[in-house]
Amino acid sequence: MSERFAVMGAGEVGFHLARTLSQEGHSVVVIERDPAKRDRVEEALDAAVVVGNGAHVPVLKAAKVDKCDLFMAVSSSDEANLAASLLAKRLGVQRTVVRVGVVNEVTTHRRLYEDTFGADLLLSTQLLATTRILNHILGHNTLEVEYLAQGKIQLRRIHVEPGSVLTRKPLKEVRMPTGSLVVAFFHGEKLIIPSGDDRAQPGDDALVLCKTGVITRVERMISTRQQRRGTVVIAGGGATCESVARALAKQVHRIKIIEKDRGRARELSRQFPRVEVLHGDATDSAIFRAEKVADARALVALTGNDESNLMACLLAQDLGVPEAIALVQHTETSALWNKLGLIHVVSPRRIAAERIRSYIRSDYSANIVSLQRGEAQVLERRLEKASPAAGVTLAEIKPPKGVIVGAVARGKRVFVPRGKDRLQVGDLVILFVQEEHVPTIHLLFPGREGS
Amino acid sequence: MNLRPTLKFLGHLLMLLAAATAFPVLCCLWYGESQAALAFVTTAAVTGLAGWILHRAGAGEEDGELYRREGILIVVGGWILASVFGALPYVLTGTIPDPVDALFESASGFTTTGASILTDIESAGRGILFWRCFTQWLGGMGIIVLFVALLSELGPGARFLYKLEVPGPTAETFRPRVHDTAAVLWRIYLLLSGIEVVLLLLAGLDLYDAMTHTFSTMSTGGFSPRNASVAAFGSPLVEIIIIVFMLLAGINFSLYYGIRRHRGQALLADPEFRVYVAITLAASIAITIILTTQGSYEHLPRAFLDSLFQVTSILTTTGFATADFDVWPNLPRVLLVSLMFLGGCAGSTAGGMKIMRLVVGVKAAWREVRLIFSPSSVLSVFVGGKTVPENVVRSVAGFLILYFACWAAGTCLLTFGAADLETSSSAAIACLGNIGPGLHAVGPTQNFAFFSSWQKLVLVVLMWLGRLEVYAIAAVVSASFWRR
Repeated sequence: MSERFAVMGAGEVGFHLARTLSQEGHSVVVIERDPAKRDRVEEALDAAVVVGNGAHVPVLKAAKVDKCDLFMAVSSSDEANLAASLLAKRLGVQRTVVRVGVVNEVTTHRRLYEDTFGADLLLSTQLLATTRILNHILGHNTLEVEYLAQGKIQLRRIHVEPGSVLTRKPLKEVRMPTGSLVVAFFHGEKLIIPSGDDRAQPGDDALVLCKTGVITRVERMISTRQQRRGTVVIAGGGATCESVARALAKQVHRIKIIEKDRGRARELSRQFPRVEVLHGDATDSAIFRAEKVADARALVALTGNDESNLMACLLAQDLGVPEAIALVQHTETSALWNKLGLIHVVSPRRIAAERIRSYIRSDYSANIVSLQRGEAQVLERRLEKASPAAGVTLAEIKPPKGVIVGAVARGKRVFVPRGKDRLQVGDLVILFVQEEHVPTIHLLFPGREGS
Repeated sequence: MNLRPTLKFLGHLLMLLAAATAFPVLCCLWYGESQAALAFVTTAAVTGLAGWILHRAGAGEEDGELYRREGILIVVGGWILASVFGALPYVLTGTIPDPVDALFESASGFTTTGASILTDIESAGRGILFWRCFTQWLGGMGIIVLFVALLSELGPGARFLYKLEVPGPTAETFRPRVHDTAAVLWRIYLLLSGIEVVLLLLAGLDLYDAMTHTFSTMSTGGFSPRNASVAAFGSPLVEIIIIVFMLLAGINFSLYYGIRRHRGQALLADPEFRVYVAITLAASIAITIILTTQGSYEHLPRAFLDSLFQVTSILTTTGFATADFDVWPNLPRVLLVSLMFLGGCAGSTAGGMKIMRLVVGVKAAWREVRLIFSPSSVLSVFVGGKTVPENVVRSVAGFLILYFACWAAGTCLLTFGAADLETSSSAAIACLGNIGPGLHAVGPTQNFAFFSSWQKLVLVVLMWLGRLEVYAIAAVVSASFWRR
């Protein structure tokens, strides 16, 4: 059945989405501000173009968003995307996806944004890119991350390679770090909620719930790849650099950032006291030699300029850096880049487009758990006075098989509860529930979704 | 130039054409014309085989993307091939033994011109006359558009193909996908054709006459299986039905799509539609007055019906006749020839320059007049309250020049030999505008048989130029199109 989509913004994300969707035979309407881009879209795609600002009602009406199955606000302006999503919802669109630039929106305030602006899926291109870059540097196998309890807890879908500890031992013998819990295995199309005797098959994905602090230990445990030791050099000190540096700071003993702008470099040095910030051009081989970049284990080129990133990576490879990762905005030429020997090209926009495509393919289940066509859900529930579960220990509740009380956020503390832990009024409980048990959970934990 | 996908596409087009001959075969069998049926089966076999060969020649390339050049080549090549292979039945049945004559008749069919070289139409078989009208019906909404409507996986290339074939300065798409737009267009076309067949049946025509005349009306083609055209029925009711449907066929089809949503307001608000109706009424009334005062008409209703029919037939470039307008006084004749240049609305099945281009052209010219005395003013061209993009204005201006150049060149070439100026100039515009009958020796009761072979080919080229609105063909003959 062909569906109807509206894409706001004909930039890299929007163009790529519109192209793949129209190639699959769907009706696509592109909303684009810049009249000059209209010709480019019409030339290359079988899609209609409406020229105008997607945050304006007449434009949304001209695009007939009320008839659309999905409205994707993926322009480069956060504010316009959010406003457009809200308006499109009011005009009667079924679902919306909103792309935002900054990481915090998604990790910490996702629920608030989604509730306020009617967004069914909130994406940060930067965050997706950061996850991908960390995979490369740290040898992680994370496919997707879902942020719960205001970012204090993550739900990670981690690929299980042959030889991983999860395939070697049954789950009860695997000593998972405190604050983490394996909640499911994806075996092909099937979703398995494991008991203690189950183990993963090589090639499965494991769904792991973990506190932010133990991510590295969890990842390292599941991964089979050896982590290299040494410095990580980041070229370019933009917003993506910040989020990569923040995530790396706890896990890599040395980080160097090369930033061209002196003021920005100073700001970075204030923000990351333990990071070495250098003022210089990332394409300048002199600074590479002076700073002994050759000894680094990885170079990540994150400047805003594709060519500079390419140059920096080529320089680093020439000096013998084992891993070079380039951030690329314009993906048309990425095949060419691979030919030049750059193995890791990370394109945030392409990743965002892929994420949205998988959202569409999964029949619009925003949670990574419900990827298997709504077999299971992640619920976040705030315990109210009336709740039968309040004041009771977990052992007393006896959750049926297929329901896992994954984590509890109490005030500032977040923990993975055990049988003797008592739930209190005001706790935010994260539940992992198979579809047939959702009504039970509504009885046990009345109240609304929310953070 | 990506030749392989082009060949493949053309191959598929020929296979579609081969499949289309199933309809005349059925008609032949119904009327017991077994020899003609055999001719159509042979045509189908030859066309299908040629299509298969092209398909094979174009197979096996992964990067089968259609870009501008491929699109242009497909549309031009498609029309030429359709005309050539569509001529086979005329030759094979022996109706028109001369290949050039057969090509003329076939091209005149597909391009919905309606000019004929047949001196006695009714002596031909019923099957071949059905084919003659059926080619017009296929060509009316467009063979390429039909193809786009049937195939959904053409990708972005479909948009060029669609724009190249749908007439008018800007081809609107009212659905996000061109495939859906084309399918809607054909559905509207089928629906209107169905209604006309039913009405003609109710008016007393048999199924054969009703269908063949519907084919030529809805496509604004003008072929009739009768020697006397629509006048043969002598029924004002039939004439009124055909007038209404000629008018309907000359309206931008995307307006019909709008009617469903906006209840007719879109139609009345459309500036082109208003001009179209105004021209039809004004010309009919003017001609009625002249005919009753100066001509041989005594009854006012008859005079009005005849003038309305002739005006509609010429303006929508159909070319049916209920009266020999060539024997009318000079003023109505000149008026009708002027209407030949106009044609119907953009996005309709009609030929000619299209009223939209006239509107845009006149407004752009008026802007130039204002700029003469007020050179620093910044003026946009407005039609119906909306600005016309400058590239459209430019393309309209270029079109008008090329169009008149084609007409002038055609006229010159036709004056070699027997034809006088009146005949040759009206024959040139009658073919270029896809109308059919002209004046004098090519008047409504005459035919094109007397032109020499090469002049007939000139006329065929004019028909193609008119149907594809000059640009595509001009591009193919330009040297830089082929340069790598």
